[in-house]
Amino acid sequence: MSRPAETPVPTGRRGRRLTPYVFLGPAALLFLTFSLVPIVIAIALSFQDTQTLGEGQWVGTQNFEELGSDRLFRTALLNTVVFAVGTVPTSMAIGLALATALNRPLPGRGLFRALFFVPMVAAGVVVGVVMSWIFNTDYGVANNALEILGLGRIPWLTSPSMAMLTLILVVVWTRVGFCMVIYLGALQSVPAEIVEAASIDGAGPWARFRRITLPMLAPTTSILLILNVVFSLQAFDIIYVLTGGGPGFSTTVLIQYVFRSAFQDGQMGYAAALGLVLVAILLLFTLLRQRASKKAESFL
Amino acid sequence: MRRPTVGRRQILAVAGITMAGALAACNGESTDTQHLRLSSWNIPPDLVSYQKIADAFVADHPGTSVSVEVTTGQFHQWFITRLAANLAPDIIRITPQQLGRYAANGSLVDLTGSVPEDYRDDWSEPFWAIGQRENGLYGIFQHTDNFITYYDKQVMEQIGVQPPTRLEDAWRWDEFLEIAQEVKAATGHYAFSYGWSGSETAYRWMPLIYQNGGAFLGEDGLTPSMDTAEAIGALEFGRSWYTEGLVSPSNMSKSGGGHVDFDLFNTGQVGMALTNPEAIASFDEARPGEWGVAPMIRNTGEASDLGGNTLAVTKSSKHPELAAELVAYMTSRENIQTFCHDGNWIPSRSSLAAEDIGYADHEDVMQLFIDQGTTIPLSMVKAQSGEYFSSLNAVFADYLDLCLLGELTPRETSEQMMEAMLSVTSR
Repeated sequence: MSRPAETPVPTGRRGRRLTPYVFLGPAALLFLTFSLVPIVIAIALSFQDTQTLGEGQWVGTQNFEELGSDRLFRTALLNTVVFAVGTVPTSMAIGLALATALNRPLPGRGLFRALFFVPMVAAGVVVGVVMSWIFNTDYGVANNALEILGLGRIPWLTSPSMAMLTLILVVVWTRVGFCMVIYLGALQSVPAEIVEAASIDGAGPWARFRRITLPMLAPTTSILLILNVVFSLQAFDIIYVLTGGGPGFSTTVLIQYVFRSAFQDGQMGYAAALGLVLVAILLLFTLLRQRASKKAESFL
Repeated sequence: MRRPTVGRRQILAVAGITMAGALAACNGESTDTQHLRLSSWNIPPDLVSYQKIADAFVADHPGTSVSVEVTTGQFHQWFITRLAANLAPDIIRITPQQLGRYAANGSLVDLTGSVPEDYRDDWSEPFWAIGQRENGLYGIFQHTDNFITYYDKQVMEQIGVQPPTRLEDAWRWDEFLEIAQEVKAATGHYAFSYGWSGSETAYRWMPLIYQNGGAFLGEDGLTPSMDTAEAIGALEFGRSWYTEGLVSPSNMSKSGGGHVDFDLFNTGQVGMALTNPEAIASFDEARPGEWGVAPMIRNTGEASDLGGNTLAVTKSSKHPELAAELVAYMTSRENIQTFCHDGNWIPSRSSLAAEDIGYADHEDVMQLFIDQGTTIPLSMVKAQSGEYFSSLNAVFADYLDLCLLGELTPRETSEQMMEAMLSVTSR
């Protein structure tokens, strides 16, 4: 039997010392250029008053102090929380239900899996434009369908109380496929013998799902939770196209306010401060995600 | 036969040459050619038109070249980032509402020395004021557009109304509301649509304030003046459109981007549309021969939307004098005539009438737009092309939306809008 080829290992002390850096170098360079340096610049910018990129005056913590008295910031923050609470659990619950349904022999199973995943692949702007047509109060497909069924028109995007719900509905539709795929992967790793054993012991389908499947999916659920929160905090394109933050301020979220402050108001320093608040929230959830990952590893 | 092999050194050499070539191409100029870049909105006939005019300029200026590019994405994001990298195009096509900030913060070049002195005489005072500042000329208004009233001929026939054709006979607000009620009854849905196209075009509603004798900003172009009785009266008028069901709630200042105004007219849900010349192509396609035009509505005063574009030279330009010369060339009478003919635009020069342009179709409609352009007030132009307008427009969009929705009364809207406007202008 021939021996497998061995990777040559640098023998000299210098070679051994340099090897890790050669492998890490390209990734580190990219991270430094496109992540670390911009973050440092953004932090510096948040302590400046500047209308354009480049030149500014140092104003200490003034931008952060202004956040406290900014009504639009508070509204955007509240809307962001409502949006996240509305989209995250719903996407995950529907994703899990679909994954469970498609995790068994079913005609056209592959096709269904692909169909549910398609909205996740579609560009946010395209989804926004198409949905603005579908949910148009006067000539949209949604209201036409309701009228055919003898039901009244719904002000999907024109009423402040409905617009956020419609937005959540659209975003859930785009995200369900992602949750479904992740859950499908996790469901396939649930040991069949445990489920069979429970069946033999007399556990019904619901009891098997609640007592065995769901607990075994807990690490995946934790990771999905954090990922979905991150997605929701970053949601910009669909909202920008679909509602423009309106009617009124009803769908203005934090990331939109960052964009508006930077490019519409030309307040780069203030926008950077707003961005850092968003980063702080994302960081909190990223830490939670790390903890969830560790928990998942220990579980496995 | 042994096939030739390519070693690492050869790959690196080829990559190096390719990279150098690519970088040279990005730079876009050789050492002995003065190259200019002009950026325009992605409107195919205009891109062709700009290149055609630029080629004629290049033919008269040996050793120069001009390329036409497309302004992509959200304008301010696109422009600010390019200015920061000193990579903005030499010449930019920019709206009056976008120009103010950049004229004030030194991002644009003074064109005064490059523009023939007699140019000024062929622009109306408001149109010239778009680019003119005390310390220089930062843009030349190339073409304009505004709002008039489109109507459904059949609906007007049904209600027995003969719409006016001359500016001096334009419907006043009370007449218009009376007719709108009848139009609503005829369509069974709504009366009219308004030509907003997303929150960044909320300013298109501002003429209503001026029609009522009010102003968005004071005479200095800086002091908020949305607290006057006239401004509040205009808000009340706007609010009534929705309380009386004359306008669809999907047609508002902030939400519902795209061309909801066209769609509502084309689907017969409204019998009138207050909007700009872009509607012509849409209405011709969906409802050929079924629509007519009347002047924009008025009240105690006249006003219409300030649409159109200005050409300006950016501080990133390596050849600002040549770029300024090209702007002057593009805004010559002959070239504005060509540009407006090819793109179906309204000329900014006062001496050009519809018959001079030779529009392919609807010469009477285009002449009405040209005439309507004379009603755009100077004070509105100064307000909209001012330093803070981009931010003020965002505030206007927010509070106008809340007023039209009925979330705030016109008086509350006025108070809260003033507070927000003052926080912008006191920066």
